[in-house]
Amino acid sequence: MDAISIEKLTKRYGDSVVLKGVDLKVAEGEFYALMGPNGSGKTTLASIIASVRSPTGGRVEIYGRKPESAKELIGYIPQENFSTPLLTGRENLMYFAGLLGYSRSDAEKTVDELLNKVGLAEESSKRISEYSGGMRKRLEVATALFPGIKILILDEPTTGLDPSARRKFLGLIQELRKEKTAVLLITHIGADAELASRVGLIDEGEIIAEGEPEKLKKATDLRDVMNIETTTKSEKIFEVLSRFSEKKRVLETDTGYRVYCEDVEKTTPEIVRSLNAIGCKATKIETEKPSLEDVFFRMTEKMVREVS
Amino acid sequence: MGQISATFGKTVKEFLRQRATLFWTIAWPILWVLIGSFSFVENVPTEIASYTRASIAISMSVFALMTAGMANLPGNIAADRERGLLSKLMSMPIYPWRDLSGRILALLAFSSLAALLVTLVGLGCGARFSCSVVTLVQSIGFLLLVTLASAGIGMLVATFVKHVHGAVMTGVGIAVVTAAVSGVMTPYAYLPWLLQQFARIYPISSSGSSIIFLLVGEDYAGYNPLSANQTTLTALVSLLLFAGGLIAYSRFCWRKE
Repeated sequence: MDAISIEKLTKRYGDSVVLKGVDLKVAEGEFYALMGPNGSGKTTLASIIASVRSPTGGRVEIYGRKPESAKELIGYIPQENFSTPLLTGRENLMYFAGLLGYSRSDAEKTVDELLNKVGLAEESSKRISEYSGGMRKRLEVATALFPGIKILILDEPTTGLDPSARRKFLGLIQELRKEKTAVLLITHIGADAELASRVGLIDEGEIIAEGEPEKLKKATDLRDVMNIETTTKSEKIFEVLSRFSEKKRVLETDTGYRVYCEDVEKTTPEIVRSLNAIGCKATKIETEKPSLEDVFFRMTEKMVREVS
Repeated sequence: MGQISATFGKTVKEFLRQRATLFWTIAWPILWVLIGSFSFVENVPTEIASYTRASIAISMSVFALMTAGMANLPGNIAADRERGLLSKLMSMPIYPWRDLSGRILALLAFSSLAALLVTLVGLGCGARFSCSVVTLVQSIGFLLLVTLASAGIGMLVATFVKHVHGAVMTGVGIAVVTAAVSGVMTPYAYLPWLLQQFARIYPISSSGSSIIFLLVGEDYAGYNPLSANQTTLTALVSLLLFAGGLIAYSRFCWRKE
């Protein structure tokens, strides 16, 4: 039986249609990532599965049951940091244990196990206000790991985490796969989505593609991606770089440009020459394989996340 | 441990660990008891001064309860909503009424502590009460009505003012303004006729007057708030405010979009 089964799900806010007939299935123990830009409807979808919002139409089932009657199976971690800053890590988890009906002794035992699982046993007597962003997020994930929870829904959990905290956090999520917990990861970060066994790309309320990360990448005709750092940025540079990319696929980034090209080895010297000719110096050129964010860009001509 | 006791424990800890909450609900009324007990009773016979101090201590206890219900409670709810805790709770197998019961019980416990501390400081300053067990129990009943009415207003604020600072400031504003114009902060006898009518309808000031009447005397209450009609009105409006807050909170704060 599927852990999550969604058919023709729609959601409207007045005239605005946020979800347009979404179909989605997540198997028991599967790690599924739903990736899309802000406003694509992914958070709305997650909150409907978690019973926080109601759908306008369609069907949602959690292990064959309606979400409202299967709340005990779902561990939902919303985007915001919901833990209480004035309580310690342990007190926060004890609060959730109490909400779930644990006796004091059972709660203490389970909370100890959870703190160990998320690597916060030594920090458990510190108030949340003293935690780093990564520690806080791990503690919040612990609230969704009480025994009996079979589906973990994580809404953009790594946003705002530094690279080290993000790695630790994702490592924790990978560990959960061993326990047959189905994980639905909502993200706009391609690197996070690539850890999943299956990825769905969502745009304007529709899932536009779905599959294993590598297969999704192969399905597009993207070959190489070149990151070029330049001393300045201008329309002229953009035009020059566009000449080296089929369908003029060039993105402006924080430090320069991202160019989707056919043959990096052949193109690189030509790009350097052309930039020099217009008085621009490329300070750094890196090539990499296309990411899921590039796949999304290829399919929609939109970026998954804003350049920050 | 149940949902009610879990929410109770969490909320009480938050109240006790939030410095601003402690200041406005406990320190501020105590400060006024100290100022009032020594500033407004110069050249007044000792016995009258003692009863005046008792009257000030009761008024400030009522004000502490008002602040707790009207500002601390909505601040706590708004903070939980703002940081996504209410969304998290909605995704869990939790009954809204149990969440609310835990919050209200925490408010009662915190309010009782605040009222007790303010009263003790009043006693330390020379306040003198003339009470029996019966009038003491009756007074506790009126304090309960103050808490219910304040909590009702607090829940309405929490429902309609979404952000933490907005909710707290709205609650403090309502508490300060209504206390000033209804006889909680000002002696009833000094109020103009229109505000005296408001003081009788507003259940918090009429409860406060009832407690002063019971523990200090009619002269200090300014009127007899214990007539059958007045007591019924006080209880009824308190319960209506509480019921209104309950309905608003459970319908709108826990409503699915």
